[in-house]
Amino acid sequence: MTHDNTDKKWFKEFIIELRLRQVRGQAIGDTVASARELLADTGRSAEDTFGAARDYAAVLELPAAPKYEWVRTSLWPTLLSLIAFLLFSQVAPAWAKSELLLVSPTQLALAAAPVLVVALMPLYLTLAIRHVWLFIPIVAFCAASGIFSALVAPTTADDAWLAISPLPLLVGSFAALVALSILSTVRSRRPGASDDIVYPLPDEHTSDKGGSGFGTTVFTIVTNWLFPLFALVIVALSIAVR
Amino acid sequence: MGIPNHDAHPLDPAEWPSDWLRATLGFLALRALADGPSYGYAIIADLQEHGFGTLKGGTLYPLLTRYEAAGLVSAEWRAGDGGPGRKYFALTASGRAELTQLAESWQLFTTISTHYLKPERATKKVTP
Repeated sequence: MTHDNTDKKWFKEFIIELRLRQVRGQAIGDTVASARELLADTGRSAEDTFGAARDYAAVLELPAAPKYEWVRTSLWPTLLSLIAFLLFSQVAPAWAKSELLLVSPTQLALAAAPVLVVALMPLYLTLAIRHVWLFIPIVAFCAASGIFSALVAPTTADDAWLAISPLPLLVGSFAALVALSILSTVRSRRPGASDDIVYPLPDEHTSDKGGSGFGTTVFTIVTNWLFPLFALVIVALSIAVR
Repeated sequence: MGIPNHDAHPLDPAEWPSDWLRATLGFLALRALADGPSYGYAIIADLQEHGFGTLKGGTLYPLLTRYEAAGLVSAEWRAGDGGPGRKYFALTASGRAELTQLAESWQLFTTISTHYLKPERATKKVTP
């Protein structure tokens, strides 16, 4: 008897649970291959043999990276990029119109909301990955705060809390975006940085692999440069609609 | 002492108290590797054949993973002949020493327990 569909779902959940526990890709590949080996021998389902994927991932106690290492390596650079990008997106329209950047406290608070959402990610990311629908209200909240931030932006210098020249901020925030993208690209090109799932024997479980090496490399580089690319789009749009 | 009466006390391996298996599975798994490297299904089959019931992968593999991390067993992947690749586990020197020590301790423990459980054993009453 085959249990292809249920086992596929079980392994998908199992790999996510191991990732959430910061288990290295090589250890995940070894563990998944071991589990598949036993299932091939017994013909039983993964759930029946190993129990719930989440419980099995917990009981294995595989060696893992420090729990919050990803905060230092991934979250902080992303957060800094987000701050620089939000700043850039605020100053670009003012620069395109050759106006001063006008800022009010409410506008600033609303613009900072997505930063807070990202900064608090260690508190809710595990829950959100297990219940993906939670990302919908999170993204909706960030989008709404961005829209309201634009709506409450002061229109005259009298209404503004701050009135500053946009050019230094524009150049500074774009330079920060480029520097952070270079840093991320250099990090991602280091040997072993990708932490892909590595199976112990060649040509095993290719269906679990994310894609070709070239495709993954291109995807990683594009991801690292998304913020500067979006920043250029914002500049182009700001010039077009001024 | 005679042969156990299986009708009165059925010794269905599936009915061993789970606590007993939990307590002994560690050195039983090491013993299953004492004769040479073996893999998950073969270890389970060996234990089943020797009357310990059907073990689940969810019980055996975490144990082997811990033993591998502790250096009691080593592991090596070998390509399968038309079947799945297999992860073979083998006892290390410290695993063998651990097995010897645990087996001796277990022999002593079972001897004491068996003696204690004998109905004809003189019971000593504790007086306050």
